[in-house]
Amino acid sequence: MAINPASPTPSMFRKKPSSAMSTAASYLSAVSKADARARGLNGGSTTSTPALSLSSSVTSSSEDTVLHEDIGDSADGLYYPSVPPTSEQVFTTVHTEFGHCANESYRYTSRHTPGEPVKGVVEQDPPYYILITTYVSYLLVICIGHLRDFIGKRFKPSAFRHLMTQDGYAALNSDFDSFYTRRLKSRIDDCFSHPVTGVPGRTILLLDRYSTDHNVTFQPTGTRTRGLNISSYNYLGFAQGDGPCADAVEESVARYGVSACSTRREVGTLDLHLQAEALVARFMGMESALISSMGFATNSTIIPALVSKGCLVISDEFNHASIRYGALESLLREVISQGQPKTHRPWKKILIIVEGLYSMEGTLVNLPALLELKKKYKFYLFVDEAHSVGAMGPHGRGVADYFDVNPRSIDILMGTFTKSFGAAGGYIAGNKALIERLRISSHYSAYTEAMAPPVLTQVMASMASIMGVTIIPETKNSSSLSLLHSSNAIPVPVTNLEATAYPGTAPSTALPNWVSLPPSLCDGSDGRMRLRRLAFNSRYLNRALRKLGFITYGHDDSPVVPLLVFHPGKMAVFSRMMRTRAIPIVIVVVAYPATPLVTSRVRFCLSASHTKEDIDLVLKACDEIGELLDLKQAVGERWPLEEITKRAVELVSMKECP
Amino acid sequence: MSATTSSLEPLFTILSYSYATLETNFYKLPGSSVVARYVKSSHQNDPGRTLLEVFLIIFAIRTLLQSRTRADNSGKHFISFDEKEIDELVDEWTPEPLAAELSPKEQAELASIPVIVGPTGPKPKLSNGKTVLNLASYNFTGLAGNEDIKQSGVETLRKYGLGSCGPPGFYGNQDVHIQLEKDIADFLGTESAILYSQAFSTISSVIPAFCKRGDLIVADRGVNFSIQKGLQISRCTVRWYDHNDLNSLEQVLEAIEKERQKKRSPLTRRFIVTEGIFDHDGAMSDLPKLIELKLKFKYRLILDESISFGSVGRTGRGLTELYNVPADQVDMLVGSVANGLASAGGFCAGTNIVVNHQRINGTSFVFSAAMPALLTVAASEGISILRNTPSILSTLQENIRAVRVILDRVDCISIPSHPASATIHLHVKLPSPMHLSPRVPPPSPSLSSSSSGKPSNPLSPTPREAPQFDAELEEKLLQDVVEEALAQGVLITRAKRLRGQELNDIRPSIRLAISAALNKKDCEKAANVVKAAFVKIVGRQRR
Ligand SMILES: Cc1ncc(COP(=O)(O)O)c(C=O)c1O
Repeated sequence: MAINPASPTPSMFRKKPSSAMSTAASYLSAVSKADARARGLNGGSTTSTPALSLSSSVTSSSEDTVLHEDIGDSADGLYYPSVPPTSEQVFTTVHTEFGHCANESYRYTSRHTPGEPVKGVVEQDPPYYILITTYVSYLLVICIGHLRDFIGKRFKPSAFRHLMTQDGYAALNSDFDSFYTRRLKSRIDDCFSHPVTGVPGRTILLLDRYSTDHNVTFQPTGTRTRGLNISSYNYLGFAQGDGPCADAVEESVARYGVSACSTRREVGTLDLHLQAEALVARFMGMESALISSMGFATNSTIIPALVSKGCLVISDEFNHASIRYGALESLLREVISQGQPKTHRPWKKILIIVEGLYSMEGTLVNLPALLELKKKYKFYLFVDEAHSVGAMGPHGRGVADYFDVNPRSIDILMGTFTKSFGAAGGYIAGNKALIERLRISSHYSAYTEAMAPPVLTQVMASMASIMGVTIIPETKNSSSLSLLHSSNAIPVPVTNLEATAYPGTAPSTALPNWVSLPPSLCDGSDGRMRLRRLAFNSRYLNRALRKLGFITYGHDDSPVVPLLVFHPGKMAVFSRMMRTRAIPIVIVVVAYPATPLVTSRVRFCLSASHTKEDIDLVLKACDEIGELLDLKQAVGERWPLEEITKRAVELVSMKECP
Repeated sequence: MSATTSSLEPLFTILSYSYATLETNFYKLPGSSVVARYVKSSHQNDPGRTLLEVFLIIFAIRTLLQSRTRADNSGKHFISFDEKEIDELVDEWTPEPLAAELSPKEQAELASIPVIVGPTGPKPKLSNGKTVLNLASYNFTGLAGNEDIKQSGVETLRKYGLGSCGPPGFYGNQDVHIQLEKDIADFLGTESAILYSQAFSTISSVIPAFCKRGDLIVADRGVNFSIQKGLQISRCTVRWYDHNDLNSLEQVLEAIEKERQKKRSPLTRRFIVTEGIFDHDGAMSDLPKLIELKLKFKYRLILDESISFGSVGRTGRGLTELYNVPADQVDMLVGSVANGLASAGGFCAGTNIVVNHQRINGTSFVFSAAMPALLTVAASEGISILRNTPSILSTLQENIRAVRVILDRVDCISIPSHPASATIHLHVKLPSPMHLSPRVPPPSPSLSSSSSGKPSNPLSPTPREAPQFDAELEEKLLQDVVEEALAQGVLITRAKRLRGQELNDIRPSIRLAISAALNKKDCEKAANVVKAAFVKIVGRQRR
């Protein structure tokens, strides 16, 4: 890989204070970028755009996102930072994608304090009247639904035809099976599957729509609304159409096209796959890793290769593993002593599957306790780190990093690239024997398409950005020339002592030689900034919501923050009110069947791309809506909103937050 | 009428009698009168409250019952140990290793997987530095490496970033996805389509979305692994018919219908599941006949066009275009964007009802992040290229013919694939005496009607006359052929299967995937190399 020298003219990215649009840092950065690109095209010298991608970088994006869009009220803080930047600050990101935040005190490190017990927030039950009214509201909606079905079937049979047996075909979806969808979910369908466009970064562009038939169909209005995006799985803010990762992806598209056109075991293995897998293994601190092209399918396509008849899989159906270790231990004692049902033969092996960070609850797995149990009961541990990898731990390596345990004490680490890396697909990391076995015996390698080259590049670039890069001079046989054009070099798995240290940096030889990363990315400062901003944002929102009096679940450091609203109706109103505010806020709401019946919730997904002002905005909105919907039901000390936003740093750094 | 009343009379007496005894017994209980008075008075004050309390009580009982069932699941087989004994047992227990070591054969297989350095395409470069002719990648219409696609990919990247960062239900539903779904539906001529982010997970998610326990599926014995998984997950009743034998299908359908009428069982959802061009051997379904049968017996058709979409038909629309059957006759038309349009993902096309149902019930649609925008736009671009350049498909067909002409009449090769199929499977043909008489599948579907007398058992996925072959030996020979061809500069591959996990043992094959990106000369050259390799390796065996 090639490392760009530090730009000799950093002032190029600086905001000119005298400019008429002086608050528009992003505007300027975009202009200067475009300018830099244009000069690069004319044979200009050092810019931070990769030298190799110049030909295709004519289609510049930042202009699109900043200049050509009809910007509404420029004071609304979505497009431009509400606090104007000073002339010292250099922002290379587009504010709508990745917020500008230079205040170093808005940073925190995600780490478990050694010796402390692992505990989430004490889960509070709401007052009884809330539970009862919630049940009653479900009951009401169900009754009305049946009533409507009853009447509808008699007076408007055509609308029910597809739910009934007709000319010899049974209904694809009987009226009974689809009742929940038709009569409950469809009432709040405007809160789901909203079409969007553009980068799902700090903000997101909603394509407005309306329905004239009670949410059966939606029509686009043709207008678009930009909202603050607290909904996407974009923990480290790598959803960017701009910046070094996107530059690397662009270069890979130019070189590799968009597909590998086969399965991994046939002819779909590219050099990029091997490089990416080696990098993933290094990132996770494991011996070996494999990459599959879909995160969701990773589990289902590999677990069958590991367990056969006589193997016991204990998966965490109760989702609250963190508080049920007693139950797990007695279960283990029982199954090991009893053996298999009927035959009483001992189990061949026991595999326990847990999630690192529970995506609906925000709770963390109690890894230290689980590893204690593992020593005694010799089960194999599979940790699904879909949400925690990248998002947890001082180095972003997931729960093992967060608890400071050796990742190799876990047998199988699984995760996805959809969330923290802004890519797609998933990985499995483990020891060499395991990974080789999976390559031979699992569905993923024989039948599923290999991961696409641009996705691999995004994974590698974002991962390198989190790790930082150590420049290792290319070995003797290759000269410095190879930095630029030795695509014929066979990728050598790097076995460098220094670099194998966990959690260390990535050696530059682990990346393709055409990936060119700017210095801020190589020295790890970009990755650190992302990790620390995410940690601050998570902790701030978690604690602030509780101080406002909301009932939330989960761990303080979790970037997934569920806010309980209980009532399905309130949930929908919450979502709509957030979306229709002066500065729209886009959030996800979840209800039964993804959650238990009574605990409908709003789920915030934080990102490193959010600024403290963004979180303040969310808090203000929650405060107002929460007051209106009577959601502030938690017991405990409360602070007024102003105090919270003023004492944010203090709130975050408090050891305990009662 | 009076007959029924009289027959019910004893029931009424029993009921009223038991009610009376219940009442008297209830009042015998100490404190019961207090309860009765409480209920009565509270009901008079506030009837709503009674209702609420009744619900609460029912709920409480339910909760109690639920926790009860969880506690005593060990049943009568439970052996009780004391704590010390359990500790000993725990200490003694040694689990098997998590992953079994690879055998030398498996290791060799892993080592033999070619690595392409740089882009894949008609002439990729391998890690040994050699540039080879590619007869193995799914690049039927030569879209891989297309400059227009690359350019729109980059433009999309700059506008959307790479990942979609969320499942479609939660703001991952970008306009480019909606556009591609529309493009696919328009291209095929269906009402609607839905996009999945991995081809393999498409049909294994589509089938369980519609077919539940109690529903009936009639499936081909030779369906691909993804369909097998889908059938397994759906837990519905499956009946099997002989591979690509529509007479056998008809017999099975007739037998089922007869049985249903005899048993007067209620009507359930019924589906026929098969493939357009089979992944296992390249045979092609007779779509018009299939449609005729499905309409006659009132089944819905789930057709997997993962291989045929983007490779047959005048513009690559697949079997429906080839046979000139309107695509809306196929209820669920599943295809692969990864194979057919050299991008990623899969789709299911059908009516609005079929598609919208999957948006809520298709597990891998609901739970997985939407496909990256860049790949989505690449596929849209691919469709517009196919629409506007029918010559690609005619080139592809010419290339296929060129290859078939050379390979069809080689002594040691048998080809089960349809002449128009862009995937060509090559089986080893060994003379019977030295071998377990491999039954060679007939080359064309019209001949494939089973000639033997007795039909196979529809309850079992294995056919009555399972083809006999020595998988180990054939695999080895084929691998040698692959390596020989590679040494001569042609990249081909064995069709990789998970032996033992597939429903039936599949005859090992080399699968060629022909591309329109190669010119005819290269195709002929490559085919000759393959032929020579076969003659050299398998011919030696035959002597
Ligand atoms: C625990 C878990 N595993 C896997 C996935 C699926 O990952 P992907 O969206 O990459 O398919 C998710 C995402 O929602 C998840 O929460």
